[in-house]
Amino acid sequence: MVLDLTMSMAILALLGALATIAGCLEDLESDVGSQSNPNSQVQLAPQMGFLHRIYNKAISGEPISNGMSAVTGGTVTTVLLSANFYPLTAIVIGAFIAAIIYGIYATTSYAGRVASQTRFKQPLYMDIMRYTTPSIISHNFIVNFCLVAIAYIQHDILGYPFTIPFLALIWGISVGAIGSSVGDVHYGGEREFQNREFGCGLNTALSGRIVRKAESGLRNSIDNVWFCAKFGGPATGIGLGLTVFFSSWPTTIWGYTWKAMGAGVIILIVMIILNRLIEINVKNAYGPYKEEKNETEAKA
Amino acid sequence: MVAIDPTILTDIILIGLSGTLICLAVHFIPVGGAPAAMAQATGIGTGTVELAAGSGLVGLITSSYMYAYEPNASMLLVMAAGALGASMMLASTMLAGGLIYAYGVAVPFASAQVKKDPITGERQDIYVSKGTQGQGIPTICYVSGVVGSGLGGAGGGLIYYVLMQYYTPFFSTSAAAIAGVFTMGVFYVNSVIPSYGVGGTIEGVHDPKFRRVVPKDVFTSIIVSMLCGIVAILIAGGMTP
Repeated sequence: MVLDLTMSMAILALLGALATIAGCLEDLESDVGSQSNPNSQVQLAPQMGFLHRIYNKAISGEPISNGMSAVTGGTVTTVLLSANFYPLTAIVIGAFIAAIIYGIYATTSYAGRVASQTRFKQPLYMDIMRYTTPSIISHNFIVNFCLVAIAYIQHDILGYPFTIPFLALIWGISVGAIGSSVGDVHYGGEREFQNREFGCGLNTALSGRIVRKAESGLRNSIDNVWFCAKFGGPATGIGLGLTVFFSSWPTTIWGYTWKAMGAGVIILIVMIILNRLIEINVKNAYGPYKEEKNETEAKA
Repeated sequence: MVAIDPTILTDIILIGLSGTLICLAVHFIPVGGAPAAMAQATGIGTGTVELAAGSGLVGLITSSYMYAYEPNASMLLVMAAGALGASMMLASTMLAGGLIYAYGVAVPFASAQVKKDPITGERQDIYVSKGTQGQGIPTICYVSGVVGSGLGGAGGGLIYYVLMQYYTPFFSTSAAAIAGVFTMGVFYVNSVIPSYGVGGTIEGVHDPKFRRVVPKDVFTSIIVSMLCGIVAILIAGGMTP
């Protein structure tokens, strides 16, 4: 251990906070640009005759695109640090350059995807591209800033053996994996099919029949991110925050011993119990689906 | 015939074994793919490679830190550190994902592959909504995922440990970077192999698919991981200690 316990805990708390912000913003960026699995519905909609005004980027899977963006930021930061820039300035410039590159990918990806749908008459809305792309870039900038800052702290202050770009790459891949698993469900499972009864379950026959009308006017990606920022984004932030915090907390307190591993196992058991409590709560609150309920009653 | 140093042979076998451990681990993780992102299938709403690599790499960070600051740490302790980081990532992800399924999409957790949850004994079929393959992350999937990611993280930790032992005399300062990047590569290779077997989705250890595809995938993984091990040793061949 490089630092004393109080300082280590302070650094760990800072890492947790940065990770929470990164996780939240990563998910919101994937909602405003429409990426990952839910984007399959946005892509499918014109083929089902549902033309829409939703940004359709999906540069690649979320872990890969975020990993690329974070490693670009980390590399630029490392170069600037070696040129004796202040760390904060270096991280900000690195994150900004990576975000701009990400923005370029987003526009070419959007234009390319819509162009491939010409035969389904899906138009490429220039106003959507003009005011959604800066939002994508700004969300991505904050994600890069937080991830490169985590990598910087881990490498320069805590003395992790990996370099800043490699650590940023790993955290970029992880934040993408978490965002894709957590927040995207809120976007894909709820927001895209919001005209269905809440909690009705989503029949696969509904694929591609996404909601196109907003609270006012036609729905666009800015409306989607407004909705997902209420739950999907923060939940993703909690996911990454817990990962960063609890993966280091036992070893920070008990050092590199089997005791720390034991503490980790206890945390895992607590999480399993929490998931079970949610499962019980949900089943009690919603009950089985109606048809099955009737069948049981008929049998009785 | 060229005589092979027994230490090198052990290293190759250990890398082969840990690669196989990662491949096996991926089958434990409840991956729902794109359908799960729309709450149309049980499991986590993303792909096998994303999840296995994402969790395993967090394990790589924790095991590398353990190795760097406890030079006397046993192989088992480095593996345990990897397992801890990886399980923590997947457990947090599944917990946060469960919150979304429960309160964002409002669907009860249900497995479509078994009638009753083997751990809680709770009926599953009546909670599966019409036209879907289950939804959310029931207890059996959650436990299976935690165990699987632990195995994957331990495998990653073992590869890192073996490579660090081998590379340190050759490249003293950059051994960690080379070992880290190589471990990441083996992770990706062994996450892709099961993707073909499971066909995009698997619920975990209770899924009938598990028994069907594990033997073939594990066999493929042993061969591929041993090849990775040989390459890992070969790339250090031109270097002098």
